[in-house]
Amino acid sequence: MLVLKNKATNLVLKSEKKSLLRFLTLYVTMITIVIALSSLFYYETQEKLMLAEQRAILTKYAYIQTKRLKVLHHYFDERRTYPRDPRFTSAIYDIDLRKIFSLLEEVNIRFDEEIYIGTNHIHFVKSLDEYFLGAKYLILEIKNDGIWREEIWKSIIGYGLLAFLIFIVFGLYLAKLFLKPMRDSIILLDRFIKDTTHELNTPLSAILANIEMMDTDVMVEKNRKKLTRINIAAKTVSTLYKDLTYLTLEQEKENEDEDIALKPMIENRVEYFDILAKSKNITFILSLEHATIFMDRRKLSRIIDNIISNAIKYNKRGGKIEITLNENLLKIKDSGIGISEEKIPFMFDRYMRFNQSEGGFGIGLSIVKKIIDEYNMQIEVESKEGEGTTVVLRW
Amino acid sequence: MVKKTVLFFMLTLSLMSQDIYERKCVPCHKELPTSLDQMFMSYLSLYSGEKNVKAVLKYYLQYPSKSMTVMSDLFIDSYGIKNESNLSKKELNEAIDIYWEKFKVFDKLK
Repeated sequence: MLVLKNKATNLVLKSEKKSLLRFLTLYVTMITIVIALSSLFYYETQEKLMLAEQRAILTKYAYIQTKRLKVLHHYFDERRTYPRDPRFTSAIYDIDLRKIFSLLEEVNIRFDEEIYIGTNHIHFVKSLDEYFLGAKYLILEIKNDGIWREEIWKSIIGYGLLAFLIFIVFGLYLAKLFLKPMRDSIILLDRFIKDTTHELNTPLSAILANIEMMDTDVMVEKNRKKLTRINIAAKTVSTLYKDLTYLTLEQEKENEDEDIALKPMIENRVEYFDILAKSKNITFILSLEHATIFMDRRKLSRIIDNIISNAIKYNKRGGKIEITLNENLLKIKDSGIGISEEKIPFMFDRYMRFNQSEGGFGIGLSIVKKIIDEYNMQIEVESKEGEGTTVVLRW
Repeated sequence: MVKKTVLFFMLTLSLMSQDIYERKCVPCHKELPTSLDQMFMSYLSLYSGEKNVKAVLKYYLQYPSKSMTVMSDLFIDSYGIKNESNLSKKELNEAIDIYWEKFKVFDKLK
């Protein structure tokens, strides 16, 4: 029970992955926006705070400089040296924003702002009440050392990352919570299948053995037809049984890899399914070249059986199945109902069935995909609704 | 007679070499205790830019009044308001331009 539960829990379906990915993408985008906006707000607040501190200092400097300008204004016929201060540089502009004198390093002044950060300096624009030397505006400039900015960035990155991590942990917990009902259903279904599989073995073996033993030559036509139908039904159940057994028991077994000649194996499987195909007047068209593959025979059989079984199951009455084999490629093309392109990525999901009119649990292709991934093979599916499906295996 | 003619000629020449500001403004202001540059600085401290200062000066010279003067009450009480200028608009503009150029602060600070 525990093993089964773990196995099922580790199973991540494509649809589950997609839901998880969608949720996480949305969630990460949302928290990134929230953190970015908070950071922006924090940055602007800190910048304003820094400018408020600088404003207090620069207002004091501006007062001192205005006094100096006043003195210079009254003694302009004797003195012509603009007052300088080691703590700041300054400039004066008249009412028409024309420069009277400037010691500033940055020439672009924003007269509509009282205090602002320029390229490398902080500028303070003081509008004077009395225009000494004709100066309406006194501009003070101090170096912007950028330390405050580094401090803000450090805080933003530190706290931002911490908040991001907390949100991610919370998000994963939420995702797990959302996906739990889906996982519980899968576990329940797995348990049910495992339990019922055991019960199927004995009666199915008895049916198949007895059908094989029956002498059809002595039967009347009516009974022979009935037996054929029983045979078809038994083989369908047998394929299903083999899939279920593989899923619940055999997939844990160690691989017994060997070189397998594919041509005789495919011919054998076609012969096995022939009776099933004939019941729907389906014709096999084989184009088989000699090819070998190194893998476990049971697993190869599961792949071929499932693809051929699906090609029959979802084929039209009187349709055909083309099987092409050459070195490193096996193509099985049917003339069946096909599926839409957007459903193709999900057709390998366990319990995924697109056509409820046909029997089955929807586990065959999930087994195929699992084995293919295990042996690093590639599978391509092309399908068009109403025209058929082509499955190509490469190794 | 020749001496007198030469003297008259030299005086005329010297008057002609002076600009309108020196001819029409400076002589009257020489009599006042406040110099023209001090008056200029007073205008500057009140009106700041070139356009403002020139406009105010022109208006005041055309229509002198106590409310428009930049001088102190004490100065006005002692010397009164000036008479209306008899210069033409062109001459007035020229004289103000010269006055501005002579005392402007631009390019004088170091």
